[in-house]
Amino acid sequence: MVAEGALAAGCRFFAGYPITPASEIYEVMMRELPTHGGLALSAPDEISSLCYCVGASLRGLKAMTATSGPGWALMIETAQYALMTETPVVVALVQRLGPSTGGATQGAQGDIGLAEFSTSGGYTLPVFSPSNARESFELTVHAFNWSERLRTPVLLLTDKEVGMTSEVVDDEVLEIPALVNRKKATARADYAPYAAEEPEGVPAFASVGGEIKATVTGSAHDAQGRLRKNSPQVISGLERLQRKIEAHAEEMALVRPDLDPDARCLLISYGVTARASRQAVENLRREGMRVSFLQIQSLFPIPRKWLDWATAGVEAVFVAEENLTGQYRAALTPYLSGKQIFGINRIGKLISPNHIASAMRGVMA
Amino acid sequence: MPEALYLSPTAKLPYCRGCGHSLVVRQLSHALEHLGLPPRSIVLTTDIGCVGLADSLFPYLHTVHTTHGRSTAFATGMALADAILEPRGLKPIVMIGDGGAMIGLLHLVHAAQLNVDVTVLVHNNFMFGMTGGQHSALTPLNWVTATTPDGNWTPPLDLLSLLRTAHATFLARQFATSQELASTLARAINFPGFSVVEIVELCTAYGTRWNHASGASLQETIRRQGYALGEVETEMERPTFRELYRHEMESPRPKRSKLTVPHLQAPAKLTKEVRLVVAGTAGERVQSAAALLCRVALAAGLYSTQKNDNPCTQGSGFSLSEICLSSKPIEYTGIESPDVVLVASEDGWKELEANGTLVACQEKTLLLLDSEIEVIPPKGRVVRLPLRREANPQRAALSAIAAWLEKNPVLPAEAWQAVLALEPPERRAESAAALETGRRLATRSTDF
Repeated sequence: MVAEGALAAGCRFFAGYPITPASEIYEVMMRELPTHGGLALSAPDEISSLCYCVGASLRGLKAMTATSGPGWALMIETAQYALMTETPVVVALVQRLGPSTGGATQGAQGDIGLAEFSTSGGYTLPVFSPSNARESFELTVHAFNWSERLRTPVLLLTDKEVGMTSEVVDDEVLEIPALVNRKKATARADYAPYAAEEPEGVPAFASVGGEIKATVTGSAHDAQGRLRKNSPQVISGLERLQRKIEAHAEEMALVRPDLDPDARCLLISYGVTARASRQAVENLRREGMRVSFLQIQSLFPIPRKWLDWATAGVEAVFVAEENLTGQYRAALTPYLSGKQIFGINRIGKLISPNHIASAMRGVMA
Repeated sequence: MPEALYLSPTAKLPYCRGCGHSLVVRQLSHALEHLGLPPRSIVLTTDIGCVGLADSLFPYLHTVHTTHGRSTAFATGMALADAILEPRGLKPIVMIGDGGAMIGLLHLVHAAQLNVDVTVLVHNNFMFGMTGGQHSALTPLNWVTATTPDGNWTPPLDLLSLLRTAHATFLARQFATSQELASTLARAINFPGFSVVEIVELCTAYGTRWNHASGASLQETIRRQGYALGEVETEMERPTFRELYRHEMESPRPKRSKLTVPHLQAPAKLTKEVRLVVAGTAGERVQSAAALLCRVALAAGLYSTQKNDNPCTQGSGFSLSEICLSSKPIEYTGIESPDVVLVASEDGWKELEANGTLVACQEKTLLLLDSEIEVIPPKGRVVRLPLRREANPQRAALSAIAAWLEKNPVLPAEAWQAVLALEPPERRAESAAALETGRRLATRSTDF
């Protein structure tokens, strides 16, 4: 469904390298992209995969690759290059159990930190995380749209359990968000490749090979793309890279709230664990417990307004995720002041509804 | 076309006195002038190092300054994309040093294999110049560098020989001082496929400071290393990526139609969700049998999820599927305690012991096992059927499913018929036989 979403989003270039549990996306793209006017290619490693995608995007095509944690570790250098050069590209990161080669065929939600905190300087990479096949489709389109609109790499963070589980999807209810394409530069004498009208703006894109000279660099540069050191223009350019993401944080926010105005506690989850969470909430409510639930689909930038709204009035916040240390909980904690925060975590196996429900009962009783 | 379209005549070259890089940018400009290529059809892709300063010297070309070693890969991406776009004709030229060429060796090899229209100029000055004259993979034997103060011990890499084995079709080596450099560069750029020119030069900041190196001794060094000069003989002509792509797109493509599972008029009614595990031996169609069951459930209007597991070798050891069937959308796809466990072989049984499925069974769990499995499970109602013997191992999993459904008819026969009709004829007969065997064994069995 990630591949289907990419095709619907107008992806025309895919370079991949096999890795469980992301190979299915690669295989579908190899099969389908040529019939959609695109090019899908086997790269010799993950570094090449993302470099090819970035190169293709610089030439003007919407591009994507898919990998898992070990492959993403290799791609981080190029993802930072895409961020710095403001090149749109989408990476589907299908998580598996880490660290290192870990468990290739076991699911996990252990790459939140590796995904989000992977840039030197701590820039925000937009991250979308689907919990099922339908969301995989829709969020892939959103990932492309935001990547184009903000000219930035965007991650689609899924996992083995979402990516490799077959399930029934009603394709009549699939929603294709309106497609967005990067703003193209128009020929002007004063065109500057890294100039934006606003401090949080996005520069117009000049494609390599087009009529307007493209100047692209991953080194610190001014608005003209010239290498500069200690220049105020460099610093404001770097600030703009972050500000353009933050300025759109609320618009980027995607959540599925299921709130009870009288709830004393809120359960937050994402990805595959959101499914067990939804069932756990249903079970707890049947027992009479007042509980709210918030599934976050746009993990980063953190949807703060939704968080404020969902946590209003609750004493306790639970965050359920399939990792050892509560990586997303740690990212949310600064925005949950005054609340008691509890993590529901395990690795190696799906977190079950019973596990979540009993953890919440234990605290709230 | 005037040279001003390429290297700016007023450009102040940023390189050290005597550095070969200055010669290369001038000769590159001459080569482009000779070819008369429109500046906007060229993208100069520069690597990290002193070569990376060349972008700003060519104000009308597209320029992409990349990360270390990756310039060839980015340029390949641009060339690949260009191959599917109209109008085509982008000429990516990569400027990389010997250090970057080694980091990005894989990218050079793959670009050669693809035969993309990329020209790589490897500025080989035998060391990392910008960072202080450290040893590189192309440093000659006995050379003194910042990191080989007693002389280099490791033999230098002959990049062109290596790329020849990767099927590169245009390879050349020239001194930066050579009168022929511009014409070699022009031929390389004009070449429609992948081309590499290794330009041998001296780093005047470090190379000549620590080594008795001069133009004459450089010739001697190259001769001693047995390196070819000029254009290197390569294999016969190969189609370029552009040509291959066009050929591929013009060839008739096999038509792939999506499998459309029909929906029955009267959907099945499941009063309660069913969670079952099917386990057996890899290669014995366990997961396909499970997929067939899910398809039948879909035809019958149910929701289903299927999760597969097998060892990473794919074709040996166990194979299993966890299936949920429900009349409502399924949230949690795991199985905390299965309702039904179907085991077609010892391999499957052992895995269920190992992964905790068997201890998670309850008294009401139905365990339908092949008769060869003699172990008594800790809990559950056990039914043993001679699946492997009667149905054959390849059909045992599907027979087990059929046997279970015979006693628990949650899916209508029409749904099976509708789904089997979608199977290719040979497979359909196999599946029908497996189902028939399963049903027969279930009817005959007294264990249920």
